Amino acid sequence: MKPPVLRCRHIVKRYGKFTALEDLSLEVYEGEIFALLGPNGAGKSTLIHCITGLAKQSEGSIEVLGFDTVADFRTTRRLVGLVPQEINYDPFFTPVESLMIQMGLMGVEPNRERAEALLKTFALDEKRDAYTRTLSGGMKRRLLVAKSLVHEPRLLFLDEPTAGVDVELRRELWQEVQDLRTAGTTIVLTTHYIEEAEKLADRIGILHKGELLLVESRESLLERHGGRSLEDIYLELIRKADGRHAA
Amino acid sequence: MSSIALKTLFVKEVRRFSKVWLQTVLSPLVTTSLYFLVFGVALGSRLREISGVPYIQFVVPGLVMMTMVRDAFLNTSSSLFQSKINGTITDILVAPIGAFEMLVAYVGAAMLRAFIVGALVYVVALTFTFFPLYHLGWTLFFAVFVTATLALLGMIAALWAQKFDHLAIFPNFVLLPLAFLGGVFYSIDLLPEPWFTVSLFNPLLYMVNGLRYGFLGVADVSPEASAAVVLASFAVLLGVASALLRSGYNLRS
Repeated sequence: MKPPVLRCRHIVKRYGKFTALEDLSLEVYEGEIFALLGPNGAGKSTLIHCITGLAKQSEGSIEVLGFDTVADFRTTRRLVGLVPQEINYDPFFTPVESLMIQMGLMGVEPNRERAEALLKTFALDEKRDAYTRTLSGGMKRRLLVAKSLVHEPRLLFLDEPTAGVDVELRRELWQEVQDLRTAGTTIVLTTHYIEEAEKLADRIGILHKGELLLVESRESLLERHGGRSLEDIYLELIRKADGRHAA
Repeated sequence: MSSIALKTLFVKEVRRFSKVWLQTVLSPLVTTSLYFLVFGVALGSRLREISGVPYIQFVVPGLVMMTMVRDAFLNTSSSLFQSKINGTITDILVAPIGAFEMLVAYVGAAMLRAFIVGALVYVVALTFTFFPLYHLGWTLFFAVFVTATLALLGMIAALWAQKFDHLAIFPNFVLLPLAFLGGVFYSIDLLPEPWFTVSLFNPLLYMVNGLRYGFLGVADVSPEASAAVVLASFAVLLGVASALLRSGYNLRS
């Protein structure tokens, strides 16, 4: 097995009295697509926020390629990219300007040629000088993905990138994810479309009420459950966990 | 420290206010010029000298300072708060940018906007009443430290605010009254007690009078006393803003 790109050790995240993540440990390996599944409020985004710097874990440590995300935050943030769940855009800037600004923020000298190449990759080149607010929802989503790649991250987080997007765009996005993996990027994604995780992911983690119920390779998980779909396995695990919590 | 990130964030902030220059540069220039026309030109021609200088000249530094105070505050507060509201603050929070770079970039851009508008107000005033600067050093000192102080206050307000109404409290209910009562249009020597003494507790009084000393060589308080108040305000707000940014207050959950 390749060395871990991401190592989370005993992560606890509390918001007041509410515990969003409970003693969570996880490793993600170089070059894999890791799908993090779980119902709403399971803690998927919280975990991603702790890793990317949007939140601070209450306990535990997180390392990206051996660098601590708190002590060495400048190094780890340079290695990590994030496509956030919520679409955001700066109404003052065009797509090409947004990409060049993001390059600079990530510590990379802004480069118009690279920005235009990224826009072309994501079929946004015709809109490069339009105000971002005039882009369609799908285009804004693609721009978010392009922004997350300006600094060529080694580890990319996609937090429900296909939420609310049409089938065609979903397929395009997943194709782009596979291309990125082929190019060597390690990918962690969350999605509610479990059949898509079943097709894409090398390994799967199921998170429920802040606890990691399972981490297993897709192949062994499906094999172990005798050909049942990932969706059936997922639902069974969640129901069992709900039963335990109720008891 | 990432110098590329610092430069990018600074340039981004400058381009942000440049793209809406009608609102960020021209609007305060017009508003302040109207104050100047009404209080300086129309009423000033009927008023005697104050502190030994014609009234029309007396109001110029106060109006320049009032504009710079407002614009330095508004630039950081509106930009940072809008980033929080529309989610684009994420772009900065996931980047390898520390509190120092954020502070310098936001405050630097706000100071630049305040200098541009302040300089334009001064140029407009000179077309009505020409007078040479009395002391360039004090003028620059107060312009730099007052705008930096108000830019820091704007950042603190944006970090604290949860809705636009929270943000509006500062310019409308704090800065504007303090500026008006801080001797922009009059000398506090004209005030009876207890209002004279009460005025001495208004930090804007020292900011206005500091710049007035630099411009005209006259002030209600000494430039040293004004400088002490301005530097103390700057140090306190710098400490608070740095601590809030480092802790991720209302930015990182």
